[in-house]
Amino acid sequence: MSGSSSVSAPPETRLRELRVGTSPVEIVARVVSFERREVTRRSDGGRRPLASGFLSDGTASVRFTWWDPPREGLERGAVVRAVGAEVREFRDRPELVFTWKTHVEPASPVELPRVSESELPLKPLKELAARDDGFRLRVRVVRVQAKPVTVGAERRVVHEGLFADRSGTMAFSSWSDFGLTAGEALQVSGGYLREFRGRAQLVLDERSTVTRIEEPDLPEAAAISHSGPRAIARVEDEGGGDAVAVEGIVVGLLPPSGLVYRCPTCRRSVKSGICRVHGQVEGQADLRARLVLDDGTGALTVNAGRAETERLWGVSLAEAKSRLREQPDPSLLEEQLLESVLGRRLRVRGQGTKDDFGVTIQPESIEPVEVDLDAAATELSARFGEGG
Amino acid sequence: MSLREPAWRVSARELESSLEEERGAGDRATSYLLSPFGARMSRVVVAGSLSPAESIGREEANTFWRARLADPTGAVAVTAGSFQPRAMAQLRQGRESRPALVVGKVHLYRGRDGVAYVSVRAEAVRSVSENEERALWSDMVRQTLDRLDLVERVEKSPSTSEESLRVEGVPSAWIRAAHESLRRYPAVDRPAFRRELAAVVRAIAGETGPRPSTSTSVSVTVRPAAPPKPPAPAPSAAERAEESVFLDLLDEIAEVSVDGYADLKEVVSRLEAQGVVADRAELLLNRLEESGVVEEPIVGKLRRA
Repeated sequence: MSGSSSVSAPPETRLRELRVGTSPVEIVARVVSFERREVTRRSDGGRRPLASGFLSDGTASVRFTWWDPPREGLERGAVVRAVGAEVREFRDRPELVFTWKTHVEPASPVELPRVSESELPLKPLKELAARDDGFRLRVRVVRVQAKPVTVGAERRVVHEGLFADRSGTMAFSSWSDFGLTAGEALQVSGGYLREFRGRAQLVLDERSTVTRIEEPDLPEAAAISHSGPRAIARVEDEGGGDAVAVEGIVVGLLPPSGLVYRCPTCRRSVKSGICRVHGQVEGQADLRARLVLDDGTGALTVNAGRAETERLWGVSLAEAKSRLREQPDPSLLEEQLLESVLGRRLRVRGQGTKDDFGVTIQPESIEPVEVDLDAAATELSARFGEGG
Repeated sequence: MSLREPAWRVSARELESSLEEERGAGDRATSYLLSPFGARMSRVVVAGSLSPAESIGREEANTFWRARLADPTGAVAVTAGSFQPRAMAQLRQGRESRPALVVGKVHLYRGRDGVAYVSVRAEAVRSVSENEERALWSDMVRQTLDRLDLVERVEKSPSTSEESLRVEGVPSAWIRAAHESLRRYPAVDRPAFRRELAAVVRAIAGETGPRPSTSTSVSVTVRPAAPPKPPAPAPSAAERAEESVFLDLLDEIAEVSVDGYADLKEVVSRLEAQGVVADRAELLLNRLEESGVVEEPIVGKLRRA
């Protein structure tokens, strides 16, 4: 990197520039994922070890396959240099293959290619997909919140929130403190995508760059966090979303709802006094409601926690416990809860994730909705036209 | 897809006018009731005045209750059996008619005379205030008008792509339902049905008009469904014996079958071996289906409901 850069170009190929037919290549990249397995040889049935994963150098992330990898393997996050790697095509994308001819050695993060921001393609949030890398974003911070977490023995603070641009929204978590505040417009590069609870999420760390920009074209933060409700069918189609707002009526409750017991250590629900992780524990009482919300186009589940359940039900945890002492049948409590929420019209905001059973929302807010009957009647009469 | 079926907002009149069904194929497949007005429904939400329930069960262990739910457009039967204990308890609660909300699965029964009866098998029932009832009707009218508009649009320009409709936010289930309605009910007078909804809007506005428990107008050119049948007379001891033979056979066959269903043909042929003729077997099946003991989720395949 010193002085001679104009004389001799670095020997490495950037991952974005990998093309089939340019083999062998030399690359420097960070290990994003590493997984070992074995394949059975068709010829003699013998087993051959194989590793695969993703490598990223800030310009792109590509899949790699490593035949007969060393026992120690590669650590996630480590930077490596590979000399003599083959480039092949896998599902229409270039892939790196490490063979016996390839030399893989540890490298330092400073050896990673310098990528200037302007080289990176500007991408709308909607086009980002899991494992994407090497892009630039222009976004508005809709919200951001610092959250202390424990990683192994280490205590760290992660900044979580939501970015938006005209194409959509994307949840992010940043391991570096960029001093983000809601409402500001940013150019962001050096982030990558990972999957969290089945949804893509943008991750920023010390390699990422954040610059404040003037961008009047971005949607206002308030417009995103107070946007009107959308059809549930639409939310189902889109597989949930980071800032979902829906409105419907409660048509049912899913178990477990009502009075539940949780492990004092991990908050998992306790069945027959047994926690899945901590064995026999003294369960702590809690309230929850898994509401089925339906707007006529679709249905989804809203996981209401204790505070929301108490508010909707009008019954506190203490009251629920004392009712249970009088009538020791938890299903009666569930019935009373259903009775008080069935048919209630609610507007719910939160993060929606989708699995085989449909969309579930972790609510940030649940508000009862009053229908203005006069306005509804006027609006509907107008639709009958003359003579209606 | 195992996604939960949405609860279509429909009027009693729309249910009365629905005479076509789409039976799901395969294991545990969902059947759909197809309306002339753009609904392809498995589950519905209906609101209106719910009459006191009457028992149509024949034995203590298998009680079955039926009530009628009337809105300004018509009335529909609402049933609940011991398999929906909460809904059944709720249905039985009222001593007199009260405004209520019912969430349930629609069920089409076609008698031997070919007349179709639609009922709603309640999953959940709750008494509501009159304002809640009116709010539910406003949803129902809005969505029904939206569906009628969609059916009309698809009829006028059949080439409108599904993609362009979806971009506008039309749920794909509605688009499919609109096409099915046009295909199955080519000659229905939809404008007449639309006009009937105006009565609901007047009720939403709080204009208290007469609230007919059943509509007598025959403005929809499809055959209006006959009102749900009065409770069947209690079966004779001989009929009960036949029913129990039927059910025993069904259980026996289902138990050893690969898919857990009893094959209708097998049930019938074994009944014949026991001296019950095929016509009689079908009658039995109809009665058991109607009382919700047996269902035929796949044509020719039976199971306990």
